[in-house]
Formats: sequence, C-alpha cells, structure tokens
Amino acid sequence: MPSTELRKLQQSFFGHLLGEKTDVVKHIQSTVDRSAEQRLHIYSSGYRLRLKEAISTDLDKLYSYLGDEMFEHLMDVYIDTYHSHHPSLRYYSQHMCELLATQKPFSDVPELLELARIEQAFNFSFDAADCDTIGIESIAKIQAESWAQLTIQFHSSMQLLELQKNTFPVWKALSQNQTPPESVFDASTWMIWRKQLVSRFRVLDEAEAALLREAKKGANFSRLCEAMLSFSDEEQAPMQVIALLQTWINEQLVCHLS
Amino acid sequence: MDRPFLGFGLGLRTEHYQHVLENKPDVDWFEILSENYMVAGGKPLYNLDTIREDYEMVMHGVSLSIGSTDPLNKDYLRDLKALLERVQPQWLSDHLCWTSVDGTNSHDLLPLPYNEATINHVAERVRQVQDYLGRQILLENLSSYVTYNESEMPEWEFFNEIASRADCLVLLDINNIFVSAHNHHFDPIDYIKGMDGERIMQFHLAGHSYSGDMIIDTHDHDVCNDVWDLYKKALEHYGAVSTMIERDDNIPEFSELRQELSIAEKIAANTLSPQQLSILPVLKGAA
Ligand SMILES: [Fe+2]
Repeated sequence: MPSTELRKLQQSFFGHLLGEKTDVVKHIQSTVDRSAEQRLHIYSSGYRLRLKEAISTDLDKLYSYLGDEMFEHLMDVYIDTYHSHHPSLRYYSQHMCELLATQKPFSDVPELLELARIEQAFNFSFDAADCDTIGIESIAKIQAESWAQLTIQFHSSMQLLELQKNTFPVWKALSQNQTPPESVFDASTWMIWRKQLVSRFRVLDEAEAALLREAKKGANFSRLCEAMLSFSDEEQAPMQVIALLQTWINEQLVCHLS
Repeated sequence: MDRPFLGFGLGLRTEHYQHVLENKPDVDWFEILSENYMVAGGKPLYNLDTIREDYEMVMHGVSLSIGSTDPLNKDYLRDLKALLERVQPQWLSDHLCWTSVDGTNSHDLLPLPYNEATINHVAERVRQVQDYLGRQILLENLSSYVTYNESEMPEWEFFNEIASRADCLVLLDINNIFVSAHNHHFDPIDYIKGMDGERIMQFHLAGHSYSGDMIIDTHDHDVCNDVWDLYKKALEHYGAVSTMIERDDNIPEFSELRQELSIAEKIAANTLSPQQLSILPVLKGAA
C-alpha cells in the first residue's frame, strides 16, 4: 500500500495534537522565523480550543454554574478522556454525563450531572427527527374494540428527566442570567420536547410521569389504565388516561396511535 | 470560457437566518456548511428548506477527510448524498487536506505532504467519492502553517495534479493563498499563475489574524486590502469566477457583510466586462 508512510505521518501528527510524544517534528521544516515546534503548536493549541468551543456552546449553563476555572478543568479532563469520533462537532460533548457521573470531584456534586442532562436533552430535542403530529380528532376515530391494544408513538424529541435535586429551577435561573437558587434535594420529573421548531419543557406530577414512562416503553392502553390504578380507582382510571392522552396530543407530542 | 458563473454569494450562518428569512436580501447565492444540516430534523433543516426556495446554493463540507489514510467514511458519504438530494446545490466542495486518522477527528484542516505518493492516494479517493456521489466535487486549498520535509513540489503543482488525475474541480480560497504565501515565503502570484484555471469554479474571500509573524486563517475579520488586490489579479488571470465571503467568527450584521460583498462586485466590474460577468443559468445538479 503506497500510503504506509503517509499513514505513519498522520498518526504521528495526530498523536502530537493529542499531547503524546511523537516524532512528527522530524517531518516538519523549521524556518528562520519559526521552528517546527512553534509551527506545530498552532495546530495543537487550535485542536483543544476548537473542542473547548464546542463543549462550552453545548453546555453553557453548566459553564456559568461552574465558573471559568472549574469548567476549564472539566473541559481539559473531558478532552483528555474522550476523542471525537463523529465528523460533526455537534456530537463531541455527548459523553459529558458519563464523565460527570463517574469522575471525582465532579461526581461528588450531583447537580452538575443533572444540569448537563438537562442541557443535553435540549440539544437533542433541537434537531431530533421531524414527524407530523396528530390532531385531537384522531381520538374520535378509534374503534371501541381497538382501545385496549392502543399504543402511542411519541415525537422523537420527547425525553423524560428524573431529577433528585431542584436543578430545573437552577437551569432556568442560569438561562435568564440570574443567580441560581441554592441546590437542594427536591425530586421531580420533567419532560422536554420540541413543539414545531421550539423546545418546550414542563414538570410532571407522579401519575403523569409514571404513565409517560410506561407509554414511551410501548405499554398499551389497558396497561396504562392498570398503571393509573396506583393513583386512582378502577372507575376513574380509563377517563384519566384518555384525558392525559388528549393533553399529549394537544402539546404535539404524539405522532401516531396504533 | 464557459464556466458557470453564479455571481456573488455569502456563507449562510445561523446568526443571519432571521434576517434572510424576513428580508430576502439581495445576494446571488448562499454557501451552506454541509455538516450543519446532517442532522435528523428541527430548525436547521426547516430554515435550509425555506431559504433554498429563494436562493441558489452550493454546499461546503469540512469532514470528508479526503487525504486521510483511514477508509472513506461511508456513513458520512451516505448523509452527504442525502443532503445533496435535498438541497440540489449547484455544486459541493470540501478541502484538499486530511482531518481524521484511526477514526478520530481533529475538526481541523490538516495539510498533506506534496509528493507523488500522496497525489496517487488522494486522486484515487476523489474518484471514489465522485463515483459514489455521481458528480464532480470541488476541492479547496488550505491555509497552512507547516511544510513537510517529504514535500517535493509547490502546493499548486500538487493541487493541479490531483485535480487532473481525479478530474475534479477547484475552489480557490484567495485569502488562504495569501496566508500560506506569507507563512511559507512564496509569491502568491506564482500560485495564481500556476493553477489550472479551467477547473476553478469558485473563490472564497475571508479575513485573517496575525499571531506574531505568522498569519492564522481565522475568518473573524474583514477581507484585507492585500487580499482584495490578489482577488483582482485572480480575476484578471482567470476571468469571472463565482465569488463569496466566508465569515465564521466575530460575525457582524448581515448588512455589513453584504456591504463587504459589494466591494468584490465593484472590483469585478472594474476588472471584467459586463459580458464576462453575466450570470449563466446552470442546470440543477449539472455541475
Ligand atoms: Fe475557504
């Protein structure tokens, strides 16, 4: 293969970008105005800067919460741990939650992971696949005998976030450039989705959160009614599930009923 | 010469979506960054489709990694082809460089050694890409900061040879010629004179920054006078070539960029005849 030498050169060059000791400098000409090392430095510093710009764009609330110094440290750890395996920078920061969940000192501060999960959920909803959502008239068209087996296909942008702390109010304050409230334990479940072109979010009560979790996994209507029994009685449950379904349809969360 | 001439365009940037959608400004065409639209759905694709209804477009990518020694990225090519179908651009371009190795992306445009082995390697890959996409691609010259000891010829000879063996087209970045000429101590006019003009379909103009005595291709400033002079010389040498300004950072109001583009229009009007500058309609997908 004629490109063996080229391959070695590229691996050596890339190793240099990653901060490894390689022999790439032997391949680079020095000139009176700049040494080979100085010339290579333009590439290695540019490499980190570009990745940092991508991370700070994707996670700008986490950035404000942590402040310059800690966020810079976090980005350095991230860049040293994760390389970019996608042709678009859009996906580079996608492993941040993994890092925040596992690496000290970040994993000692649970709201950091929650904040990143919120931001990643918004990033995901922003350009998730389009689908035509159904209108409320679809409910009337469902045959009486089909109800029990009915399943709901949600818009691909829809995500449920179970949080242990008051991180959503923290996120909201940060996105309005306000001082966030103190981080405290206060469990809640949130939904994030895209309605037409704009990302939306709202908090869910326990019953709705439980039903959405089931429905998203593909549970049919009779299974959803069963799940509703934890919050209601046998007589009320079916109507309450239908009421929730109507809400979801009105919020353009539902692409298909089958 | 019967090269298609699209007139004067700008790079489409997210900061300007609203302005473009609301005001439909007077620009002949837009260049889109392909990777920005290789996503599943939502606002990027909606804005793209809406703006496409009113403007001619060309596509410009940064991640083809044509000079890499990794296998061609099939998923990337599949997504690129799907975007081509969607946008139906006049043409598409990427860079004469490598960006990745061992499956890892640098997200930077890294230079290649200019020698026979690299020419063979790259020309073969360009042919494969063109076969897969069913059309010619344009390759663009970089700004670069290193010269390899393995290089055996000037950049323009290397570029010509690849273009001719792969039968591909050329996007000539006037600013990149200026930047590389400064950083590597060659005369930018030699580059202009050395390039095979027949294959040049598009010009980029951009601004740059100084870092000590090196020039860095940052696209965060106005086009400087030296680059405007070089642009004029390029027009004198090649005739009319579709021209646009690339701005990627420190992005000003749309109207300011439009104003800057009118400098290019003026230089072209003072350099070439009205016949040379008449916009030739191009059949969709025929480039
Ligand atoms: Fe360019």
